[in-house]
Amino acid sequence: MIKPIYIHGKGAISIQPTTEPGYFFDSILPYTQNPIPAHDPDYKALIPPLQLRRMNKSMRMAIFASQLALREANRTTVDAVITGSGLGCLRDSERFVESLLADEGQPLNPTPFIQSTHNMAAAAIALALKCNGYNMTYVNNANSFESALLDGVVYLSEHPDHTILLGAVDELGERTTEFWNIAEYLKQDRPAVPTPLAAAASPGEIAAEGSTFFVASRQPGPSTTGKVTAVETTLETDNPASFVNQFLQKNGLSTGAIDAVLLGYNGDSRYDDIYRGVSQALFAGIPCVGFKHVLGEYDTVIAAAMALALQLLREQRIPTALQLSGPQPKELARLLIYTQRRGRNHGLILVER
Amino acid sequence: MSTSAPIAITGMGAISAIGEDVPSNYRSLRISRHGIGPIRHLDTPHRGRLLVGEINMSNEELVEQLGIPAGEAYTRSTLLALLAAAEATMGIDLNDGSRTGLISATTVGGMDATERYYEDYLNSETHRHYIPTHPCGYSTEQMARHLGVTDFVTTISTACSSAANAIMLGARMIKAGLLDRVIVGGTDCLSRFTINGFNSLMIYTDGHCRPFDEHRNGLNLGEAAAYLVLERAELVTRQTKTPLAYLSGYGHANDAFHQTASSEDGEGAYLAMKHALEVAELDAGAISYVNAHGTATPNNDLAEGQALLRVFGAPESIPSFSSTKAFTGHTLAAAGAIEAVFSILALQHQEVFANLNFSQPITALGIVPQTTLLPMQINHVLSNSFGFGGNCSSLLFSTAHD
Repeated sequence: MIKPIYIHGKGAISIQPTTEPGYFFDSILPYTQNPIPAHDPDYKALIPPLQLRRMNKSMRMAIFASQLALREANRTTVDAVITGSGLGCLRDSERFVESLLADEGQPLNPTPFIQSTHNMAAAAIALALKCNGYNMTYVNNANSFESALLDGVVYLSEHPDHTILLGAVDELGERTTEFWNIAEYLKQDRPAVPTPLAAAASPGEIAAEGSTFFVASRQPGPSTTGKVTAVETTLETDNPASFVNQFLQKNGLSTGAIDAVLLGYNGDSRYDDIYRGVSQALFAGIPCVGFKHVLGEYDTVIAAAMALALQLLREQRIPTALQLSGPQPKELARLLIYTQRRGRNHGLILVER
Repeated sequence: MSTSAPIAITGMGAISAIGEDVPSNYRSLRISRHGIGPIRHLDTPHRGRLLVGEINMSNEELVEQLGIPAGEAYTRSTLLALLAAAEATMGIDLNDGSRTGLISATTVGGMDATERYYEDYLNSETHRHYIPTHPCGYSTEQMARHLGVTDFVTTISTACSSAANAIMLGARMIKAGLLDRVIVGGTDCLSRFTINGFNSLMIYTDGHCRPFDEHRNGLNLGEAAAYLVLERAELVTRQTKTPLAYLSGYGHANDAFHQTASSEDGEGAYLAMKHALEVAELDAGAISYVNAHGTATPNNDLAEGQALLRVFGAPESIPSFSSTKAFTGHTLAAAGAIEAVFSILALQHQEVFANLNFSQPITALGIVPQTTLLPMQINHVLSNSFGFGGNCSSLLFSTAHD
């Protein structure tokens, strides 16, 4: 039913130097803080300074990552822009709430209000590329990028000749982080990246931010690094292993057909057992790759995992810092990504060579 | 396209400032009774100054009507959404084995709680159970649990075009064979965030909004929730149901002109309407009524008017059109859904609803909206929703028998 889409370019900003050419997680930037802001590239390299000054963090990260993706795909424009963002432009939202709480009734600066809307990153890309095409933003917590990806698959089945930008962005907000701390989402005791996993895990997440974009179409091309063949989400499940297994069956695959599985272990001892359960039930003896222990946790981090999966296909090896268990792979041709957040928003993406 | 079969609309529900269900909304539209007035429930210094389309029920009343257990955290947008979605799905068995989805749109999400408890959360435990309600997706997830929808759940936020885009995605997913049935729509409650936002942009009128009038000076915000049930045509046939109407076309484009302002020639709006006609395989001449976005901001109505002229030709070729925002206020992420319900009511009752508060046409356009209730034959209605970020959407609704 779902036809594969080919990925021709990718760009990622994260808390690791993923914007540097050739970077492949062989060295990991360590942190001992929570939250962790993105490892910012030199935005001026790809964004004119005048425009850059007016852009909030989400907009600049999204523009930069999408430009990297376009360069890798050797393109200057696309037919549509589809994005996901769990929380949108948090900092401008906070700024506008703070200004109205202080001065409601007085004239307020409208800029943070304008730039608080969730679709502002996708809109900024459309504006930068002068792209009049389809432009969409999904805001579905930790399944936001998966929704964008699914829309991209549907869009390309409707427009088989089109090329699209698919991506995600999430930024940190200072007050929001305080709220999350109060809600006990975040790791408070000795936060670290790489985040200790398994027996060394402790309660809480490491909050991070980032943006990842892809250029996709229905046809393979000279810069194609792989294809996405299936994506699925579920808000809740009593049995994650069965959710994953049914997904594989639907796609006509046995667990043995997966060369490596990317699992969203984030070192939160309250929820990492979900991955352990899936891994033990389905993927014993299959290489297991982690990513959240070096990228942190945010709603759209699965987009960064998809970029990593494409890199694994190209490099045909798993960086030591990322391999959590299993043997060295003989071949990397078909990869499965599985994540959830706080026991909800389960997402699966199948990436193939 | 995998199939050109139209999408059946088999249920709808709505709550707005002019009615707490679809029949009461219709009664207000029929007698041209608007719902714009002073702020009663929202706690803001703008109370007594700005006019809004507020739903006259407190959160406590909504909670009671929905039978939500005390102590559970539901923000106002979600409460409104649950009422509208319950009406939309009444009499429809969502657990009949068909693949059923929920696609909801919101821009406010839980911001009304965040702005209320912004300092309180830090200092007191009383309202901390509202902290998780902030993200837009949370509202949809609460809805999904209430409705028992598990096959597919997502949330769209593209400013004022959000609900139209949720409706469009639902139709596309059915056409792509991914779902059989989908509950689609949007919800936004009034909030200090949005009222102050539009006020800071100086596009909030000091009186009642006047869509498409030469002297329009801004919008009134409103709050609403509205949902449709879309079903695969074969599913409807199997159940021997008669659809309320069909969603025959949809289009989306980005104006790619400015963060908030529309381009002078209304390029995005024009492309959205053109695509909707193409998907429906209809000529512009087939449209009997346009439910315009018509926010009554100087910029929107001018750009939308230009786009209407480009789609339909000369002013006299433009079909009857009206903006119903003078009834409900601009309900942001809910606008595309509440106006979808109004478009379907127009088809069901064969009536064009009035564009209130109009007196003088925009000089640059020379186009005149329908200012009174007009009974006429209506087979196809175009409904526009445009938003910040250049997101422009147009939906095309058709009678069952065309």
